[in-house]
Amino acid sequence: MIYVQVENLTKVYGKGETAVIALDHVNLSVDTGELVAVMGPSGCGKSTLLHLMGGLDRPTEGRVIIEGQALNDLPDEALTRLRRQKIGFVFQFYNLIPVLDATENAALPILLDGVSPARAKARAREWLQKVGLGDRLNSRPDQLSGGQQQRVAIARALVAEPRLVLADEPTGNLDSRASDEIAALLRQVANQWGRAVVMVTHDPHIASYADRILFLKDGAIVGEARPEPRHAHNADWVTDKMRQMA
Amino acid sequence: MNLQGTLAARYLWGRKLRTFLTTLAITFGTLVIFGMNIVLPTMLQAFQTNILAASGQVDVTITHKTGEAFSDKALSRVKTVAGIRAIAGSLSRTINIPDGYFGRARKVTALTLTGIEPREAQMLRPYPIKEGRFLRSGDTAAAVITTSLADSLGLQLGDELHLPTPEGNVAAKIVGLLPARTLPGNEEVLVTLHEAQKWFDLPHRINTIEINLDTTDLAQREAIQRAIEATLGRDYTLGALSSGTEILASIKTGQAAFNLFGFLALFMGGFIIFNTFRTIVAERRHDIGMLRAVGASRRTIIGLILAEGFLQGIVGTVVGIVLGYLMGASLLALMAPILTQFVHLEMGLPVVRPVLILVTVILGVGVTLLAGLLPAFSASRVTPLEALRPSVAEVAQRTAGIGVVIGVGLIALAVLGLVSGHMGLTALGGLMFLIGLVLVAPALVRPIAAVFSALIALAFAREGTGTLAQSNLTRQPARAAITASATMIGLAIIVGMGGLIWSLSGGFLDILRRSLGSDYLIMPPSVGIWGSDVGARQDLAESLRAISGVEVVSTMRFAAATAEGKPISLLGIDPKLYPQVASLTFQAGDSRTAYGKLADERTLIANGVFAAQAGLQVGDTVRLSTPTGQKEYQIVAIASDYLNAKILTAYISQDNLQRDFRKSEDIFIQVNLAPDADQAKVEQKMQAILEDYPQFKLVSGKSYFEENKQVFDSIFIIYFVILGVLAFPSLIALLNTLAIGVIERTREIGMLRAIGATQRQVRRMVVAESLLLAAIGTAFGLLAGLYLGYVLVLGLSVSGFPVTYVFPYAGLVAAIAVGLLFGVLAALVPARHAARMEIVHALRYE
Repeated sequence: MIYVQVENLTKVYGKGETAVIALDHVNLSVDTGELVAVMGPSGCGKSTLLHLMGGLDRPTEGRVIIEGQALNDLPDEALTRLRRQKIGFVFQFYNLIPVLDATENAALPILLDGVSPARAKARAREWLQKVGLGDRLNSRPDQLSGGQQQRVAIARALVAEPRLVLADEPTGNLDSRASDEIAALLRQVANQWGRAVVMVTHDPHIASYADRILFLKDGAIVGEARPEPRHAHNADWVTDKMRQMA
Repeated sequence: MNLQGTLAARYLWGRKLRTFLTTLAITFGTLVIFGMNIVLPTMLQAFQTNILAASGQVDVTITHKTGEAFSDKALSRVKTVAGIRAIAGSLSRTINIPDGYFGRARKVTALTLTGIEPREAQMLRPYPIKEGRFLRSGDTAAAVITTSLADSLGLQLGDELHLPTPEGNVAAKIVGLLPARTLPGNEEVLVTLHEAQKWFDLPHRINTIEINLDTTDLAQREAIQRAIEATLGRDYTLGALSSGTEILASIKTGQAAFNLFGFLALFMGGFIIFNTFRTIVAERRHDIGMLRAVGASRRTIIGLILAEGFLQGIVGTVVGIVLGYLMGASLLALMAPILTQFVHLEMGLPVVRPVLILVTVILGVGVTLLAGLLPAFSASRVTPLEALRPSVAEVAQRTAGIGVVIGVGLIALAVLGLVSGHMGLTALGGLMFLIGLVLVAPALVRPIAAVFSALIALAFAREGTGTLAQSNLTRQPARAAITASATMIGLAIIVGMGGLIWSLSGGFLDILRRSLGSDYLIMPPSVGIWGSDVGARQDLAESLRAISGVEVVSTMRFAAATAEGKPISLLGIDPKLYPQVASLTFQAGDSRTAYGKLADERTLIANGVFAAQAGLQVGDTVRLSTPTGQKEYQIVAIASDYLNAKILTAYISQDNLQRDFRKSEDIFIQVNLAPDADQAKVEQKMQAILEDYPQFKLVSGKSYFEENKQVFDSIFIIYFVILGVLAFPSLIALLNTLAIGVIERTREIGMLRAIGATQRQVRRMVVAESLLLAAIGTAFGLLAGLYLGYVLVLGLSVSGFPVTYVFPYAGLVAAIAVGLLFGVLAALVPARHAARMEIVHALRYE
């Protein structure tokens, strides 16, 4: 089932001679239950694509449609509500609030949505258990490892039960073991828990966890690969594919 | 520009809002100090010009230590001293001109009437007559004035000039005109000495001797001066005139108070700067680490931070000086009409002493550098490795440190001092209380924030933003505490001064009712500063007594004197009549015995200020210097009246005033009517009599009380406005801290927006934080202010002012209102900024 659709999405920064085309007429769709990795060299427009899909920024041209609703038409207030209810974000630097503990951090989106603190925290705890942090519910970010912090961020992304999760370099700040765990967790989020997950990464090994890999270059999609089960966790295969596209 | 300068300028420019706020804090402090210090010297100069302009260019001026007139025998004695080229005695007095005396349009408020011996005076200085002739020895009812005075009065040569004197209205024919006056100060009316002595009822008395010496050699001149001093004895002053010290004293008291405010404002500025620099250092750990890695020494880093402080200090101070000048000048412009009206002082241009500029610059820049010093040192301790570490916002987990312990100790001592009731201990306690609060503040931020955030959450910030605001605040308890301390000082001023004003006005209105409780008051133009008032001879009081329906007429007379080396006002009262129309407020001694002794012996009643400043008690003896030599007076009571409560004053009998000071002129008269008197009729008759004495104004006691009460009420409002302005730095402190917090948390705010916080929720979060911060500051401010107010009242009552402490409910309400208002105002800009952040940029923010 197609959950997100991107049509002719274009983003131009600046004007006239100094204009930079960050994204150039990109089309794609993502189904629920699918983990899509977006790869490409730095500056190719990966993050811009993710920001536009998440309604954090507005496109110069084209549109993003979530559940049949085009984001372009929405005023800021409605767009914010949509982000809160239908999209979960995971960032490279986790972006947890240092003064709140794991449960409070994970509960933030639904607290903002007006859910009572007790219920919000209960739901946050459920998700923290699901992502494997049941024993660190009351730890503060500075008492958690990078991988653990990212799990809190993933719990936070899922607590409002959104159908779409957007992850921007989720393993960019982690060691290889923690990276593997997070990648596997994201795959679980898509395949087991039925979310549409889009993950931006430049690490072929992490990309190999995906159901589908999109290669982006100079703001345009230049290719697509679907790792077979036998290619899973095979960075070399992904690197080969990437070379072919280039 | 070197590297540090360049970096400093770039960094400052890159954070315009913060730079602006920090600089504003310095500007405000210097503004208050500079502005207020312009006002004083300008008033002083106006004062001196007015008094001294008359003396012109002579070598030596001799006056009596009391400022009063003395026998002309002194003149003959001085004449015997060798080395004197010219000498002249004169009798000169300022005459306050009642409103509308010369007609509505004539804006002459005071004149100096000078009686001279024409021949002697002309040897002393030239009088270039433009029209008519100069005075001659035998002239009666003749006057010489300047063309400028003639113009402003619309008179010509040969016209009659009318003047109010103790003799009633007198007229003199203008026989000569001098060139227009160019100096500021009162215009002079010259008459013959004999005429002046007659009008002022001071036969054979003069109050100034002026001398020109034979030589210009400094050593010889000093020798001659010493010879004169030896001839005259120690009751005389050579050089400047000593009259008018009353005004000087009140100007100086006001100045001290405003300087205190200025320092407090600058102190708050220091807090704000300190906060800013700490943040700057925390924020730039990466940059500083990198600079260290590429070879910057610790000294370079300290220099970098201090260069920023220096730039801001200079800019802030310069702007503060400019604005301060404008403020001082406009304040003077506002005050000029009032001063002209009440104390008859003509103002000149604002006076700026170079030393004031220097002091202001040193203070402004110095405070900035001082506040930047600690953060600069902590910056210099950043290691190069910091550049490589990811920036993780640390959460301060402070436990009760040594500062808190000391703070608690200081507060405990302060409370003990308060309980002791001892003035010195209590005053010291006030300081300890403030410092103690500042030290304890960091530890109190968390609990107080918890209490208030529950309140705020109830009020409006649900959805978790309230909790978020609270935890944001407690994240940096030290910063919150410093901000709260700045707010505390601002609000403490409001509450403290509010308490003082409240107590003062309560006490004063009570005394006012007692001391001016008579049915009618006959008042001179200048009340309280009696020296320049022209009174009336006893005839006036007698003719008032003659009116049927008038029961009692009590008069007050005035002489200046010195006692215990301090200039004091002596008021002559009739010990039998005075208690019938009014009463003093007694602090020590019993009224009946006091009035009784006043009538019989050389005794005096000292007022509170006089007794406190000279350390006198009932039963003590004071030596008063009088025009007839030193006289001993015994103190029979300590008591104050309304008009003289602020001025060193003693009350003696009119008989003693006549005998020792040769003064018998009534300057203030109180009248009580018989119970069955026809009020309208009596009033009409009194008005008719007073037509010959235009220097006096007839006022009903009741309406005078009402008028004063209204003045007090309006002073309240003005005071609270001024105090509000002085609390302004606390607003800057709040705004600064919030702005810092918002900038520092840019990425977090971006994340909050990304995961679905609406703009309104982000705005509320900042507002809630601001209100919390303001609430903490207000709570502290109330505590400190109550203590401060109590100390001020205690201080005043110990120094002789008749005040009792009144709890300042209105001050509390005002402080809470100001606190809340500041909380909301301070949040406006940062909240808007936080809510409008572009999410994508915010997320990338380092």
